[in-house]
Amino acid sequence: MAVSSPNSMPTPPPEEPSTPSHRNDASPPFDIVSTYNHLLTTDPLLTHPIAAIESLISLLAASPAATISETLSLLSTATSTLKSSVTNPIAISAGTDLFQRYIISTLQQRSSQDARGKSRKHRAGGAEDFRAIRGHLLTNSRLFVQRAKEARGKIAAVARKFVRDGSTVLTCGRSRVVAAVLGAAADENVRFNVIYAEDSIPLSPHSTDVVGELRRKDVPVAVIPFAAMASALAKADFALVGAESVVENGGVINSVGTYQMGLLAKSKGRPFYVVAESHKFVRVFPLDGHDLPIKQRGLDFSTGSGDGGEHEEGRRKSVGEMDVDFTPPELITAIVTENGVQTPSAVSEELIKIWY
Amino acid sequence: MMPPANVEGGSLLPQDPDSPKDLLQNGAKEQVVPAPCDNTMASEGNVKGTNGTQQKAKPAKGSNDGKLSGKELKDKAKAEKAARRAQQKGGQPGQQGQPVVDLGPEMQKHSDLKGPSVTGATSAQKFQHKRTGSASGGFQKPIPFRPAQAHAAPFPEEPKRENKNVALFDHLYGNPRRTTLAGASKDVHPAVLALGLQMRNYVICGSSARCVATMLAFKRVIEAYVTPPQNSLPRHLTTHLSSQIEYLVSCRPLSISMGNAIRWLKVKISEVDVSTEESAAKTDLCNAIDNFITEKITVADQVIEKEGSIRYEMATKFKVIVVDSRPLFEGKNLARALADLGIEVQYSLTHGISHVIKDATKVFLGAHAMMSNGRLYSRVGTALVAMTAREADVPVIVCCESIKYTERVALDSFVHNEVAPPEELLIQGETSSPLLKWLDVPNLQLLNLMYDLTPAEYITMVIDESGYLPPSSVPFMQRLSVNS
Repeated sequence: MAVSSPNSMPTPPPEEPSTPSHRNDASPPFDIVSTYNHLLTTDPLLTHPIAAIESLISLLAASPAATISETLSLLSTATSTLKSSVTNPIAISAGTDLFQRYIISTLQQRSSQDARGKSRKHRAGGAEDFRAIRGHLLTNSRLFVQRAKEARGKIAAVARKFVRDGSTVLTCGRSRVVAAVLGAAADENVRFNVIYAEDSIPLSPHSTDVVGELRRKDVPVAVIPFAAMASALAKADFALVGAESVVENGGVINSVGTYQMGLLAKSKGRPFYVVAESHKFVRVFPLDGHDLPIKQRGLDFSTGSGDGGEHEEGRRKSVGEMDVDFTPPELITAIVTENGVQTPSAVSEELIKIWY
Repeated sequence: MMPPANVEGGSLLPQDPDSPKDLLQNGAKEQVVPAPCDNTMASEGNVKGTNGTQQKAKPAKGSNDGKLSGKELKDKAKAEKAARRAQQKGGQPGQQGQPVVDLGPEMQKHSDLKGPSVTGATSAQKFQHKRTGSASGGFQKPIPFRPAQAHAAPFPEEPKRENKNVALFDHLYGNPRRTTLAGASKDVHPAVLALGLQMRNYVICGSSARCVATMLAFKRVIEAYVTPPQNSLPRHLTTHLSSQIEYLVSCRPLSISMGNAIRWLKVKISEVDVSTEESAAKTDLCNAIDNFITEKITVADQVIEKEGSIRYEMATKFKVIVVDSRPLFEGKNLARALADLGIEVQYSLTHGISHVIKDATKVFLGAHAMMSNGRLYSRVGTALVAMTAREADVPVIVCCESIKYTERVALDSFVHNEVAPPEELLIQGETSSPLLKWLDVPNLQLLNLMYDLTPAEYITMVIDESGYLPPSSVPFMQRLSVNS
């Protein structure tokens, strides 16, 4: 689900210029939004935050910025452009915030090193220095992205131990991390069943088909509608979901229905595990599901006065719009990241470490 | 006759274990669980009272040495104060006979137990008679006293009264709060003297306000400080401050924020280089205090205000329900201030909370301190509000500067708390309250707790100067703010 919430994929791929990141010849400034969308469509394994980071790196590589402050202001304008282009900017801000903090700390480190070097060697030419810093930044950034991409494998290695022989897993959504975890367990020849709660949003070509992937690996999967979740829960041993973003208090933002699963799992005493890479941690602190910094349609009340067809259409649309929900931390048993199994309260500490 | 015996049992039990068995039994009947506590702490006042009479007895015997004179004076003052109190109590008709009946045998017993001399006993008796006389005098014409003084005794000093401490909180009573400047160390700076009394009387109240006032007073202490010869400022100033702090504690226990600020200041002082000139060192320290106040309180408050108000960007029209509680009614000022700003304010007391919570969409709480297990230590009643809010699914937000974080962990409100003088629970100016003569009513105890502890599960969010936190991250931030 992290990948493919339809609202953040506003443009179909054919309309996009084929390689927007290489349009250096074009006189208009680098188009961060199309780069971002292109990255998401070309690489189905990419998460939103990482796509945002990669777009910013491409921007940095293509930009003629020559000073630190110029670079930072360029990044911040690009970030806000990118955020305003999607309806749910939380996942993007997880990546852009992380990148910004990374850049600032790197620049601080480098400039203090340079200051020391200069006092000894009296090097002239700030521009050259900056170019060196930028080169360093770019190579390190790519390393950073590389590591973030490897995170999923690490999570799968940790979280597959939760899946034991004879167990039944309840899941929903289109998380690639969930698919990776269950796939890893299947590869280890663990015999387990999966109950998959299916939402009404049709599969897009870029979304992960968890059910198909698992069935291909000979894992028995039962597909149920969300309405059957409570009754199916009796047969499940635990619930496993992915996350679009993990917020400061340890709650998760994920495709609609996750909160419901959390509530039911809690009431039935089933463990509720979230698998998510730590780059999805974001500095947002919602008090409840209606406190998210997203323009959500919310509840769309309407009467039956309009004609039937329109009414039906309207109803379906409003479900599609309200496309994430917020699962509070008290419903979550544990969050599995590439750093290991953490309690929800550890998220805030991780974020504080990044920001201070 | 039975009730007086009972009363005696309560107070006698701790001080002389050899007392007659019937008294012991009475005592045991009265307080089942915390009897051991009684022995250690609660009877402090009673023991003092007894000593007083004994030492009074000694000069009468003529076997006094100079060593005791200072103490004697103090005891005398105490006895006089007790007499005055008895007189005041005696002023109520129908009660005045009782102290005489009560005190007589008690005194007798003590002289029997402790002093073989007859003169001692008679002098105690004389003392008794004097009291009786003054009490009956009071009966004729009650002498008006300032309420602050009348409130002075959280528990009676006359040895024969029932122990009025609530047994479960016996360990919290300690010494009664200081009411006068008498006996304060002469090292204490006038600014601190004034501050102590202001805090005692809640003129300066609230964790942050007390912290700021203390630091400002200490600034004046440092300004007025002169290092004595053969001493260095970093070494001596800390002890000089300690006597100020001791005085402040005798007025009212320190708040967590004051404790944190004082710890910071002491470290600052100890870091002063011995070779620094005194005036320079003093200026540096004063500047550091100013910066501390600005950084930790003033700016922190501004940031918290900003962060908190972001929550209202979307709905600028809002109403505030101020939930207040007896006996301090601190919410009245808040309600008035908000109303003056043009905000619609509804004022209510805590017992209306289950009704007013239905109208609330968010609950904002202040803090006295945040414990390291994420619990909130705040004015008594806060936990009730938070629990009700949680029950009603209303988010609970705590606004708290990081100076109020403590590394201490608290599991309940019993172990750490502050007991204020119980008289504050009486309604001022009321003449016919059944509680008015509570000190004389057997089996009646008043408990005036200052704080309670709100479990972390009831708290949705903590806002401090660094941003939003879940309560579970408080220890982490506490460590950060201590290290920085």
